Order: sequence, then C-alpha cells, then structure tokens
Amino acid sequence: MMHDVIDEFGRTVRLPLVPARIVSLAPSLTETIYALGAQDRLVGDTDYCDYPPEAKKKAKVGGVMNPNLEEIAALHPDLVLVTKEGNRPDTVRALDTLGIPAYATDARTVDEVLSNTQKLAEILGVPEAGSSLTADLRGRLEALHGKLQDVPPTRVFFVVWTEPLQSVGKDTFVADALRKADAASIIDVKQDWPLISLEEVARLQPEYLVFAASHFDIGARDFDALAERPGWRILDAVRNRRFAVVSDAVIRPTPRIVSAIEDLARQLHPSAFPELPAPEKPAPSPVKPSTGPAPNPAHISQSVLPSTQEIACAR
Amino acid sequence: MRPLTLTRLLLRCGMLAAILFVVVVIALKLGAVQVSLYGLGKDLIDVLLRRTNALSSDYGLIVLDIRLPRILLGIVVGASLSVAGASFQALLRNPLADPYVLGVSSGAALGAIVALIIEGRLNLSPEIAGLITPFGAFIGAAITIAVVYFLGLRDGEVDSTTLLLGGIITVSFLSAIIMFLMTTLTGSNLRGMAFWLMGDLSTPQPRSLLYFLCIGFLVAAGAIYTTASDLNLLLAGEKEAMHLGVDVQRVRIVVYIAASILTGLAVSVSGAIGYVGLLVPHVMRLIFGSDHRMLIPASALGGAIAIVIADTLARTVTAPTDLPVGAMTAAAGAPLFLYLLRRRIA
Repeated sequence: MMHDVIDEFGRTVRLPLVPARIVSLAPSLTETIYALGAQDRLVGDTDYCDYPPEAKKKAKVGGVMNPNLEEIAALHPDLVLVTKEGNRPDTVRALDTLGIPAYATDARTVDEVLSNTQKLAEILGVPEAGSSLTADLRGRLEALHGKLQDVPPTRVFFVVWTEPLQSVGKDTFVADALRKADAASIIDVKQDWPLISLEEVARLQPEYLVFAASHFDIGARDFDALAERPGWRILDAVRNRRFAVVSDAVIRPTPRIVSAIEDLARQLHPSAFPELPAPEKPAPSPVKPSTGPAPNPAHISQSVLPSTQEIACAR
Repeated sequence: MRPLTLTRLLLRCGMLAAILFVVVVIALKLGAVQVSLYGLGKDLIDVLLRRTNALSSDYGLIVLDIRLPRILLGIVVGASLSVAGASFQALLRNPLADPYVLGVSSGAALGAIVALIIEGRLNLSPEIAGLITPFGAFIGAAITIAVVYFLGLRDGEVDSTTLLLGGIITVSFLSAIIMFLMTTLTGSNLRGMAFWLMGDLSTPQPRSLLYFLCIGFLVAAGAIYTTASDLNLLLAGEKEAMHLGVDVQRVRIVVYIAASILTGLAVSVSGAIGYVGLLVPHVMRLIFGSDHRMLIPASALGGAIAIVIADTLARTVTAPTDLPVGAMTAAAGAPLFLYLLRRRIA
C-alpha cells in the first residue's frame, strides 16, 4: 500500500504506508525515530548519528553533507529521511534520480519540531506513538510556561562557536527554544547562523552566555580559559561568571529539545523552581557535566530523564 | 625528435585510451559497496542474450546508475579541463596558466551562487531547480569570458599579458563578491556551495546534461585542434608566428573562446576542480613533447584518466564518506607538480 505525502521542500513523495527499511540522513531524525520506537526499521544512518548510543551501531552511509549514494542504494531503503536545513538539496535530487523515495523535514520553531515529530510518526506508520509523545512534551512545555509567565525574560547570548563568534538568528528553532525557556536572544537578525563581532555582544551586554555542550566543550575551567581570551572580559556576563551549558539537544530539532529547554529554564530562573532544587547541583551555578560513565537510557521516549544525565549522554 | 606521423599519433592515443579503459573498469569495480565485476559481466551477457530481462538490482542501481554516470562525468570534465589548460598555456605562453587563471571559474561560481539565491526565492520543481545551478554557472562563466576578453584588448587586438592581468584582477574582484554573497547564504545552501567550490562529482547529473557536455566538448576541443599547428608556431613567439603566416588574432580568439567554453561547461557541473588543468598538460608535454597536435588529444585522455583515478580515490579512501574530488586532485597534484618541476630543473 502506498500513499502520497508532501514534504517540506514541497515535493510530493509516494511512500509505503508503513516503511520497512528507513535510512536517516540527519542525527535529529535518527533520534526522533528512536523516540517513536521505530528503530528496528532504521537500516542506516550517518556518521554523526550518536544519540541514542545504539544509533552508532547502525550501518553508516557517510556524512550528513556527503552521504554515499552507493551505500544508501545498497541498503534498499523504501524511505530516506532528510532535513532541509542539514542536507544538501543535491542529495535529494540524486535520490529522486535513483528512484529512492526521500522525505524532507524542516523545523523553525519548537512547535514545528513537535508537529514534525507527529508528522514523522504518521509517515513511519506509528501515529499513536507520535501523539502520546508529543502530547507529553506539549504538557511539559505548558507546565514550564505556567511557571515562567510572571518571570521577566533573561537576555542571553547563545554561543554556537567562539572562533569565529557565531550565534543564532531569530528564525531558528534554537532561538525559539530560548524563548520557551524564558530567555531572549540579544541577536535579532534574520540570518540563521550569523557571525557576530564581540564588540556587538559587548554593546548589548547579555545577562547570560548560553553554550551547547557538544559544540562548546565547556565546564567551569574552560569558561575561565575563555574569560582569559583577549576581549572577553569586556562582557559583564563573563566577569560575573553568568553562563549556562545545556545539552546539545538544544541545537537538534528532536523531542529531546524539551528537556534542554527545561534545563536551561532551571539554570536561568532558579527562583521559579522552588519545589525542584535540581539534584547534584546548586541551583544557579553552571552545570558541570559529570565525568563518570554515562548512564545509558534505553531510548529517548523515556526522555523524562533528569537533565544532568542527558548532558552526560550528549558528551 | 622523430616527426609526428599519423600512425604514431593514433598509436599513442590508442595507448592512452587503453589505459583510460582499464582505469574505468577498475573504477567501476571499486567503491563503498563491493560488487563483483565477474557477476556484473555475467549479468550483462545474460541481458544481452535475453536470458533475463534486467540486471540484478544492486548492479543495476549501484554500478550503472550511480558509479558509471559519475565516471563518465569525470571523463568529460577531466578532458575539458586539461584541453583548456593546454590551450591557455600555449595561448598565454605561460606555464602557470590553467583553466581558472582567466576568471572563468570565479565567474561560474558567482553565477552558481546567484542562481542558488534566486532559486531560494522562486518555487521551482525539483527537476528545474537541479538544472538552475549549472545554468547559472555557465551564464556566469560566459559573462566573465566576455568581460575578460575586452579587458585583454589593446588597440583592438588581444594582448596576452593584458589578458592575463585582466583575468587575475577579475578573479580577485569576483572572489570578493563571492565571499560577500556566501555570508548571506544559510544552512544547506551554504554547505552545498562550499562543496561546489571545492569541486565535486558526487551529484548525478541528468542524462540530457551529460549529452550536452559531450557535444560541447567535442565541438570546442575540435575547434582548438584545428589551431594545433598554429599553436606550435605561436610557441616561438607571436611575431615569429605572424611572419610564418599564422593569423595570430584568429588563433587567439578561437582558442580563447573554445577553451573558455570547455572550462565553463566543466565548472558548471563539477565546480572548480583544481590542478588537473595545470598539471596534466605538463605531464603530457614531458612524456610526448610539446607538439600540440599530439598534446591536445593526449591532454584530453590524460585529464580523463587523472580525474577518474582522483574521483575513485575520493569515493573510496574515506568510504562511506565521500571526499570532494577537488580536495583529492589538489592533495595529489601539488606534490606531483613540485616533483616534476624539480626533476626538470635538475
């Protein structure tokens, strides 16, 4: 049984009702497949698909930007999943040429991450898993919103890279995730991943710097090293050691982003969470990722994990 | 040196063609996915004898739909770049000239970026969207060719030095615009562009485009070949050539336009693959001498061999991850070039 669906490139794709052999070309899609419990039908993913850890054991088809078409073809997939953001349009065209059905997703807000998860669940033939997962996540976001609605937002600078200094534009899901955590990015540009001068950051003086764990391998010690770099002490946030580190889920459009949002909200607004002093860490201080062996969550649909654990996994 | 006879020309070309054939067969065999050529051959014979209707799907899809078109594209691109390189080296009488020195690839890159930006604004069907980058690249190349040509005119005649300088200035100017536009691209477009600039053969091109490339190559390379004897005389110097009855203006224009077209076509489908156009003609000159009647076909075949080898390495060295073939040609080409240079001086 086949049906036609329209993907985020606006292409009409003919897909089996329940795809049996799926290849994922993006870490976020791989994660979502696991979150939906469809991992048994995932026959291949990319070198960068590292979460959950079992995803590393799937057959690899190369990188996100440069997957190997031969490897993909050899897996005989009946569905290849791509993202509009991370994969090249050329890859999609190549798959079309080869008659391999490819479906593209694109998320620019947290709500779209959730609705895409639902849509993906329908495409994978597991709509119930999608609705229960997204209902749970929506509930958590609403609860968070309830806690934070009277708290004024914190002005933050989200650091994607430090050299060159790169942040997120307002139309990305990352900026939206910040908003959901009651944080306002000081960078208000349309470009998705703008390069920003340190001077501009100094002019805007964010209250907090926010780092994603995988992109910026930062603990308290690394933060001190950063503060030593020329120019950085010009930032109030650096002088006052006001920084937050969240799991790399914040830069992946996956269901796990909700946990990252909750974690960030707790770090930025500890007073809004009086009933829940986060375990193992004094509330306002930055998260120090644990160095011990990472706990091994079976898969992401149990994603109501404590956030510190998740950071450990992401690293 | 013995004079070049038709027999010797054909013999040498036949030898290179045989090497190319062997390289292609090996390239067909190698790849991320293991296939047995014996099995493929058996399947092919079965199909030819009508014992079965189709190849077993792995061979059909992987070897014939993915590997073979990529190899064929590499052959045309390699041959085009090398012939263009040999022509520019003769035309500008400068051993450092390559297909990109006159700004053709920068113009093509700019055209491709503009096409990508326009494509983002329009809602095009994927088939058309796939052709828009090569098309934009070719338009960009064509405009640059015309601009540099007029920059190279002095007193109504093409002057080699002025042409070279005009080309170099154009390259830096266009690179500045490219860098500026690159900052406006986002996400997958930016990364796609970065791949394109390095030179990449991994995207299967529509078959019609491949035919178009082949025809373009045959016409342009053929036009250059008609000037081969004149190019030999040009090597002695433009005045000398003129005294020997060469219509230097005509040769310059034919070679300049044809070589630029070759470069534009190659760049528009594969991006800027470096070193092949510079290196292969030099290697061929070392082996076969600098008679352009031999050098041009030898460069075509040699360029094809070089790219097929480089692309096979790009496909296999880090398999399953593909490397851009441009990275491979630069990595192998630069040391080889230095070696040849030292050896010739010694």
